[in-house]
Amino acid sequence: MIPAPLLAMFAPIVILVFGFLGENTRVGKLREAVAVAMSAASVAAVYVLYLMLKSTPDGILVFYLQGAPPLGACFEIDMLGIFMAFSVTLLALFATVYSVRYMEHDTRLTEFYTLLSAMAVGMVGVAFAGDFFTFFVFWELMCISSYVLVAFRKDRWGPIEAGFKYMVMSAVGAAIIFLAMAFLYGMAGTVNFAQLSSALHGQPMGLWRYTVFGLLVVGFGIKSAIVPMHTWLPDAHPEAPSPISAMLSGMLIETGLYGLCRVLFLIYEPPAFSMTIAVLSVVTMCFANLLALLQQDIKRLLAYSSIAQMGYMLVGLSAGSPYGMLGLAAHVFNHSLMKGLAFLSSGSLVHMTGTRDIDKMKGVGRMMPVTTLTLCIALLGLGGVPATNGFVSKFILFNSALGAGMWWLTVLGVLNSAFSMAYYLRVMKTLISEPEEGLKVREAPALMVGVTVVMAVLIIFFGIYPAPVISLAHSASEALVNGLKNYIGAVLG
Amino acid sequence: MNEAVCLAAIFALFSIGVYCLSVKRNMIRILLGIEIMLNSGNLAFIYFAFLRSGRAFVDPLGQSIVIMSIVLGGCVVAVGLSLVVNAYKQFKTTDVRKLRRLKW
Repeated sequence: MIPAPLLAMFAPIVILVFGFLGENTRVGKLREAVAVAMSAASVAAVYVLYLMLKSTPDGILVFYLQGAPPLGACFEIDMLGIFMAFSVTLLALFATVYSVRYMEHDTRLTEFYTLLSAMAVGMVGVAFAGDFFTFFVFWELMCISSYVLVAFRKDRWGPIEAGFKYMVMSAVGAAIIFLAMAFLYGMAGTVNFAQLSSALHGQPMGLWRYTVFGLLVVGFGIKSAIVPMHTWLPDAHPEAPSPISAMLSGMLIETGLYGLCRVLFLIYEPPAFSMTIAVLSVVTMCFANLLALLQQDIKRLLAYSSIAQMGYMLVGLSAGSPYGMLGLAAHVFNHSLMKGLAFLSSGSLVHMTGTRDIDKMKGVGRMMPVTTLTLCIALLGLGGVPATNGFVSKFILFNSALGAGMWWLTVLGVLNSAFSMAYYLRVMKTLISEPEEGLKVREAPALMVGVTVVMAVLIIFFGIYPAPVISLAHSASEALVNGLKNYIGAVLG
Repeated sequence: MNEAVCLAAIFALFSIGVYCLSVKRNMIRILLGIEIMLNSGNLAFIYFAFLRSGRAFVDPLGQSIVIMSIVLGGCVVAVGLSLVVNAYKQFKTTDVRKLRRLKW
């Protein structure tokens, strides 16, 4: 039986129906209103689920669909799932509101809002899935919607090329995850997460377990843009429309990381993957920070910065402790706000100036003061300046590596973080320097500015008063690392 | 004997898919490569479902997952083909060597 809050997962269908109604009856802005209302309803639904979760004794909600496992599918919701779902729905709300003005000159908007909502639902479903089958179906829902959204402006070369590249790599990643899932099924005879974990957790490592580990790291690594598998990201993120870039960068790649964390903690012990992940993390942050320095395209720079942030998050995973996962979860939320804001406000700049070249935006900051201020706040947050929320979660992440005895990881992380300020400051300096002759730009529309201002305020707020995020992230990481027994027990009884 | 053949077939399909992706230059062939890779997973599921059955009834879980995965693979290829059609309509090529405008 599906409980009421999960019915919000049918939001894309509602938006589709009302979108076509609005088109045919020529009621202005009907689909935009419905899309915003549905994404607001999704945030509320996640909150209701959170309250339901609070009232359970062991902190797990299980909903079976069509019978008990191993045959039936199920949703198994714990604090980590709620945390991810909340980040997704919040960012989706911001992106939808922003799209109302940003996309108004495009056609096929019903499809746009439906796909945007379907992508968010896919991510929420991935976070809630209680077995690999449900996980995979929602994973593909998320992926397929994002392929179409990246290539949404199909009459230009860039989106088509980026979309095709992204589609090929991501589909290969999904095929690899599927193969890993088949091997896990071969080993345990089930795809239910709880049953898999009770059959495989703590077993000695063998050839098959190493094979599955490699497949999982590559499969999820493609989606979360860990460096040898990152090549789709710097193309796909700049070419997508800005609200979509914000969703992709803010939450989609983190969903890949969520899948990796969830499966690794279910099947392996942290020492088994600690070193591999640490090496990947170092490679990811160094490579991405170096390449970000070379970029001329502002959205491409932000895309490389996303890869670097992914490297910082992997530090928490490689530490493998509850403290490290706390940092990871908090950074996922904070990064979704910061990178979402960075893409949205740079989207406003691109929208008003018509170029993505940083050098051509010289002095634009004086004509679009509010947008530039919000972009600067986002960039400072990404660089980890104190009084922004990026500082808090980065501090915890790098600290956790010390706790796990990997001081070199901390040193490299801090150095990379400092180094990354070089390209953030370059963007800020260009934007606020003396404008060239004849440059005329107006401030972005009020709705777009409003969304970015709200997000900027949230960044500063959670930087000064991080307690709510940290306490939620704490219970999320406890659910992942120490709650395994509850997680298994909720299904097996 | 039987097991070795099946596992070899799974890895062979996977490698054919990887080969196809890395060597072929036509967009449609690349999509076929993805399908072949996905099919190695499907074959693995069918084989393991057969193994778990005790050879009397095949485990329905593996079979149902495979049916769903074929559907999902079809969706992915449909999106991919629509991208190919758009690329061909506007730029009169399906050669991925031309997909080189975005760099670094």
